[in-house]
Amino acid sequence: MLRNLFLFAAATAAVPAFAQADPSVSLASDVMVERTTVGPDGRTQVSLEEPSTVVPGDKLVFVLRYRNNGRQPAADFVVTNPLPAAVAFQGSNDGSAQLSVDGGRSWGAIGDLMVTEGDGTRRAARMEDVTHVRWTFAQPIPAGEAGRLMFRGVVR
Amino acid sequence: MTSKLTFPISCSAAAIAFAMASPALAGGTLAGSSITNTATINYNVGGVAQPAVNDSETFVVDRRIDLTVAEQGTSTTVVVPGQSNAVTAFTLINTANAVLDFNLAATQTVGGTASHGGTDNFDVTGVTIYRDVNNNGTFESATDVAVTFIDELGIDASVPLLVVANIPAGRATGDVANIRLTATAREGGVAATLGAALTQTTGANTAGMDTVFGDAAGVADAARDAAHSDDDDYTVQTATLTLDKRSRIVSDPFNGTTNPKFIPGATVEYCISIANAAGGAAASNIVITDVLPTTLTFVAGSILLNGTVTGSTCNADGTAGGSFASGTVSGTLASVAAGATRTLVFRATVN
Repeated sequence: MLRNLFLFAAATAAVPAFAQADPSVSLASDVMVERTTVGPDGRTQVSLEEPSTVVPGDKLVFVLRYRNNGRQPAADFVVTNPLPAAVAFQGSNDGSAQLSVDGGRSWGAIGDLMVTEGDGTRRAARMEDVTHVRWTFAQPIPAGEAGRLMFRGVVR
Repeated sequence: MTSKLTFPISCSAAAIAFAMASPALAGGTLAGSSITNTATINYNVGGVAQPAVNDSETFVVDRRIDLTVAEQGTSTTVVVPGQSNAVTAFTLINTANAVLDFNLAATQTVGGTASHGGTDNFDVTGVTIYRDVNNNGTFESATDVAVTFIDELGIDASVPLLVVANIPAGRATGDVANIRLTATAREGGVAATLGAALTQTTGANTAGMDTVFGDAAGVADAARDAAHSDDDDYTVQTATLTLDKRSRIVSDPFNGTTNPKFIPGATVEYCISIANAAGGAAASNIVITDVLPTTLTFVAGSILLNGTVTGSTCNADGTAGGSFASGTVSGTLASVAAGATRTLVFRATVN
């Protein structure tokens, strides 16, 4: 797994500049590969592994963990995740996620979205058309509160 | 392996225009490419928008070796004994997510059920694999190129292949020769050279590009062995002809056509019938010659070709044709279908 060390270093250096502004929300994005194996007893076992060996068709589970480390509630809390081009969206763990199939310009449930084909015809959007997934929280995240969001994808 | 980052960044990831999703392909994302997923949180504190918080995770897509060898069409190749350049057609598809070479081998099976039924009971000769350059399923020696491997086949690219062989003479209708084409993926990267054998990454995963065999089992190879195979077969269909010649007296100078006798001056009608056995192939260009005894005189213009029989009775029908020269009657039947009988009829007088 490649971790973006550059970002980490930049963050450490940048934090003091925003210290007075409540730099208090943390986010951890993880990707796991879902493997289904058949054990010696014939039972199928599903396990989540680090994405060390990933080939097209592999199922991915994206886990986003957030935490409000600050002393005040974080309002208008929105978590946005653009899908990497090489990953086809396969759904989120609950119905609360909003989806976009046009690069984040319009949002909705998959059944409400339309895709315009290259020849100008329009059709109902499919999961693999999704370009962005987003969670919009109606209530502020109280101080100290943490949560986890999850969605699935498959390597194209 | 999770890192909690607090990373202020001035622009929202949501504002970055993202390319439209492209349809999934069998080969898929190129091996060795990195996939980076970035999530962003935007929020307010006390009514004041705070800097966005980002986190990213990157992983490398490994190399999945996958390929398919499939016969073109679903039927046997019908051949005749002695036929040269008989063709069975296959397609090789690179469904890996990397450009690869593919070693090719055409082999013959011994016995056993052939690809389209029947039992393999003979071997063809001179088996050669050709790239079907113009992809027409037909072998053209001036166009198609003999190959032992396919060089640098792209992701999701396919190549039509012809296995060309000669059919030994003397085979009977229903004889079957089974042909097996096996392709084995090899390292790509060097043009015009068959790459080295592939090895799966064993042991611990590496951070870089690993190699995983993901191919299905073919007719004669296991799953996950970087090879795939399929069978096709040749089935012999030949014509088995039987010839029958009979005669009848048509008339004599004294009795006319009523109970004619075999006396000098009598007219005799000969019927030569060619029967082609059922279940085989049509026979064409059948040349019939009959040397007339000197005791008979040919009746000019009496030859009828392509007549029929009913049961064992010659119908003495057909169309005028054939020729008579140097005491020999000749005629050519254009074609006799399997199971059919056609005749050549002529008349002569007794000297």
